[in-house]
Amino acid sequence: MSNVPDSLNFTADHEWVEMRGDIARVGITDYAQAALGDIVYVQLPKVGDILEAGKVCGEVESTKSVSDLFSPVSGVVSAVNGDLEGAPESLNADPYGAGWIFEVAGGVVGTTISAGEYRAAIGE
Amino acid sequence: MSESSLPLLHSPLHEVHIALGAKMADFGGWEMPIEYPASIGGGVLAEHQAVRNAVGLFDVSHLGKALVVGAGARAFINSCFTNDLDRIAAGEAQYTLCCDESGGVVDDLIQYLRSDEEVFLIPNASNTTEVVRRLQAALPAGITVTNHHLDFAVIAVQGPRSVDVMKDLGLPHELEYMAFVDTTWSAPSGESISLIVCRTGYTGEYGFELLPSSDGALTLWKALSESAAKHGGRPCGLGARDTLRTEMGYPLHGHELSLEISPVQASANWAVGWKKENFWGRSALLVQREAGAKRVLRAITSLDRGIPRAGMELKSPSGDVVGVLTSGTFSPTLKVGIGLALVDANFAVGDHLSLDVRGRVSEVVITKFPLVESHVRS
Repeated sequence: MSNVPDSLNFTADHEWVEMRGDIARVGITDYAQAALGDIVYVQLPKVGDILEAGKVCGEVESTKSVSDLFSPVSGVVSAVNGDLEGAPESLNADPYGAGWIFEVAGGVVGTTISAGEYRAAIGE
Repeated sequence: MSESSLPLLHSPLHEVHIALGAKMADFGGWEMPIEYPASIGGGVLAEHQAVRNAVGLFDVSHLGKALVVGAGARAFINSCFTNDLDRIAAGEAQYTLCCDESGGVVDDLIQYLRSDEEVFLIPNASNTTEVVRRLQAALPAGITVTNHHLDFAVIAVQGPRSVDVMKDLGLPHELEYMAFVDTTWSAPSGESISLIVCRTGYTGEYGFELLPSSDGALTLWKALSESAAKHGGRPCGLGARDTLRTEMGYPLHGHELSLEISPVQASANWAVGWKKENFWGRSALLVQREAGAKRVLRAITSLDRGIPRAGMELKSPSGDVVGVLTSGTFSPTLKVGIGLALVDANFAVGDHLSLDVRGRVSEVVITKFPLVESHVRS
């Protein structure tokens, strides 16, 4: 069973969004990290990049394959998790904590689903 | 009926993988484990390191098995496949290629020489039917070729501690590289299991490949698995097998060798007995060898964070496309992207090329084989 925290919102593309005041923090779900396998490289967006909800904003690469990262939020990137450059395995070990990917301040969150809806979407 | 509509075949060890929660995938029509879950210490990186540092157990039962028997079996096989069976003695195995008349590679396989009258073959899963068909079509009187795909499991025991596992089980372990022996193993239960023990592998580590009869496979796996755990080892999936073989530069049929990629292009000339009078594809391959290959197989190492993937193009400093990746992955040992590529023959080890990684430019360097030191002999 994947860990799907009730406090977060999700996308059908397996990203999560956590609202911290007006900052939206984004990562990939526990289900996604398990499906990808060992993550060895994360292509992060850059601080200042203008993102559009639903559009590709980075890549998550495992030993086997590469997957696009879709932004669940429109707005300007205010922070990225630079620790992932040296420790991409954080995405596997702690996808909702140390494995967060980027933040958008003052942005607009696109279409998301609840934890319950996400559980249903992944068949759990 | 297309092949893809057939139900996937299952290894005799299928229930073990399901019980361990392995991620399963289609390998040549067989549902096989890619990797075991992180919750039990699995994952491609951990499994890869287990093989490099301790011992890994792989179920590779999807590999084909075929037996060629009869007066002149050795000479017959030697007149079909590329390598020279007269270079080895009974009790030894050899890597060889089954080519078509144009020199394209139908399959690469291991041939186990039992005697002048008996050769055991291990082709790739998806090519077994075709290899057997070609042999049967060329068969002289008195020789038979039988497909034993479902009759044996294949368990690879690979890594520096593989000898300890073999000793624990009382299995033969004092074998020279590429030697094999037919033997019987007495399970703790008293069950007697016949198997072939081979000093072969596909990881670059010291190791063995065991071929028990299918009905004895589960008992053997269980004992191997308990012993491996004691020596810091673990079950490993085909994901790690791929990263391990890529580090060694070992070809994978369908990537480095194919009907379109001949042994001359794939730098597999060493697996061709050029002095032999007959083997399939001989005349075409001699012409190719004389002309020289336009592109040859090279190993590359990424100089930045880019991870090469099969199909990506390599460009020269002047921007010309000078090669294509046949395999690519992240090297768990070197912690960088690595790959195998067909590159224009005028480039050499040490030359820098650029790789188009989905629109980003990544710099790579042509590197000597193998990318990681081989320990197959000691």
